[in-house]
Amino acid sequence: MLEEPGYAGLGPRLPMREMVPVPRLAAAIWLRNARVFSKLWRGALLPTFLDPFLYLLALGFGLGTYVATINGIPYKDFIAPGLIASAAMWSSAFETTYNVYFRMNELRLYDNVISTPAEPQDVVAGDLAWSASRATVYGVVVLIVVSAFGLVSSWWAILIPPFVALGGLCFSVIGYTFTTLIPKIDLYSYFFTLGITPMFLFSGIFFPFNELPGWVEVIAWFMPLYHLVEITRGLATGPEFVEIALSTAWLAAVSALLFVVPVRALRRKLVA
Amino acid sequence: MLSDRAAVRATGVRKSYGKREAVAGIDFEVEPGICFGFLGPNGAGKTTTMKMIYGLATVDAGELEVLGMDATRDRRQIKSRIGVVPQETNLDGDLTVRENLAQQARYFGIDSETGATRATELLEFALLAERAGDRIHALSGGMKRRLLVSRALMGDPELVVLDEPTTGLDPQARLAVWGALDRLRRGGVTLLLTTHYMEEAERLCDRLVIMDEGQIVTDGRPPDLVREHVGREVLELRLDEGCDAERLVGSLDGRIQGHDLSERTLMLYAEDAEAVLAELDHEAYPTESALVRRATLEDVFLRLTGRSLRE
Repeated sequence: MLEEPGYAGLGPRLPMREMVPVPRLAAAIWLRNARVFSKLWRGALLPTFLDPFLYLLALGFGLGTYVATINGIPYKDFIAPGLIASAAMWSSAFETTYNVYFRMNELRLYDNVISTPAEPQDVVAGDLAWSASRATVYGVVVLIVVSAFGLVSSWWAILIPPFVALGGLCFSVIGYTFTTLIPKIDLYSYFFTLGITPMFLFSGIFFPFNELPGWVEVIAWFMPLYHLVEITRGLATGPEFVEIALSTAWLAAVSALLFVVPVRALRRKLVA
Repeated sequence: MLSDRAAVRATGVRKSYGKREAVAGIDFEVEPGICFGFLGPNGAGKTTTMKMIYGLATVDAGELEVLGMDATRDRRQIKSRIGVVPQETNLDGDLTVRENLAQQARYFGIDSETGATRATELLEFALLAERAGDRIHALSGGMKRRLLVSRALMGDPELVVLDEPTTGLDPQARLAVWGALDRLRRGGVTLLLTTHYMEEAERLCDRLVIMDEGQIVTDGRPPDLVREHVGREVLELRLDEGCDAERLVGSLDGRIQGHDLSERTLMLYAEDAEAVLAELDHEAYPTESALVRRATLEDVFLRLTGRSLRE
């Protein structure tokens, strides 16, 4: 029987010193998560190798037989960079939902962490940094797979990992916000069905927006995955600096602005 | 440096959760180096008081000073100098016994080499050296408790807060935890603990308070409390159906210091319970059984907080 954490709310506004994390303590949280991951990574990463392989098989080689090229690019080359971005998204989404939920509400690890010199902002920062790192690992795995298939045409693709980290951070802040606010675990099905899955399908991984009505891309612009796909595709097929710069700014701004929400909510949850 | 200062000082401290007032204005002072106990039925406000001290609950009103610092303002500084043994086991099940301690060292800014040395010492202290590589779920309840105590000591604290440190343990495991706490106090660490076990409080605590419904109903040294509220001895009578308890008590007027009736059991508090028993008119007041015993903290506790069930 799972104990439900209940809705604690956003919590009051916090002074600056209760929002700025201490790097050393955030690193301690990161190290804990990395240590646990290092025990499990073999089992955890194998599906990540298979996942893009399956998409490429079904869509690239299956659908790609009928859709030869998109905007002059072979179809499997078109979707490959998007799969790097979506791997980062799925990794961040699982890490900051179920994994964080389990640590917070089942293991109750944060009750202990908060009674040491660490504070909620250190926990959030450490967890987010970890989740972004994990997303980068997953994204790089896919990058290696699609490169091995010869689907990456530009050497600029070497620059993809740090951007995947930024995108992973952005997805993670969103997932973490959800986790610190939901009263019970069942609500994750909404997060995935109404948030993550539509984003996966409609962020420009599988089809471009240039033949569609303008409002479709306007909606997509509000999705973080759209921006990460812009960046990974931009680098994998030859750089388009303006788009990359704009999307980078978008991801950085959303991550920074949203950071205070889980910090406040976690403090409210733990220090009642 | 702390000799002239209280380890903890509370003045008019209050805390509410919604409409429920968990702590309704309490004052107390804990001298450094002693073991200070919080007793009280469930819901008395003990855990809330503990949480305010170690930073997991905010203080609504009043002043709470821990190691000379303000509990609201100086959270990080306070937490770097105290150790916490929570009521619920919250060890990291994804890590081994040793890794749990190593991880705790990181939160206190201890470098990994010193942390490893400390972990080895603390595993010895907790009699867990042989289980260092085990996962948490492989440990017994008593081992987990001892590991929680060791974990609380990682930051070399001046003050250790323990919320029901022995609840649910078998007698041997409880003895092991008591032993550990004795060693700590001899080392000059101030201990603050809550407990339901009166013998634990009598054995460990130099001073204690009894809380009920968010307030402190009494405080003092355990033997003083027993003398003050109960006396030296107790005559415990199990009354027959027809025995009138009120008249029985009236017939002993002047010979007893107080009494309590619960169902058919009558407790008479006196300096010399044997003499009271000898004086009792057994014809007029028939009893099933009579027992003379020393008064204990449990008598004080039940006198002050009542005998009805608390949930």
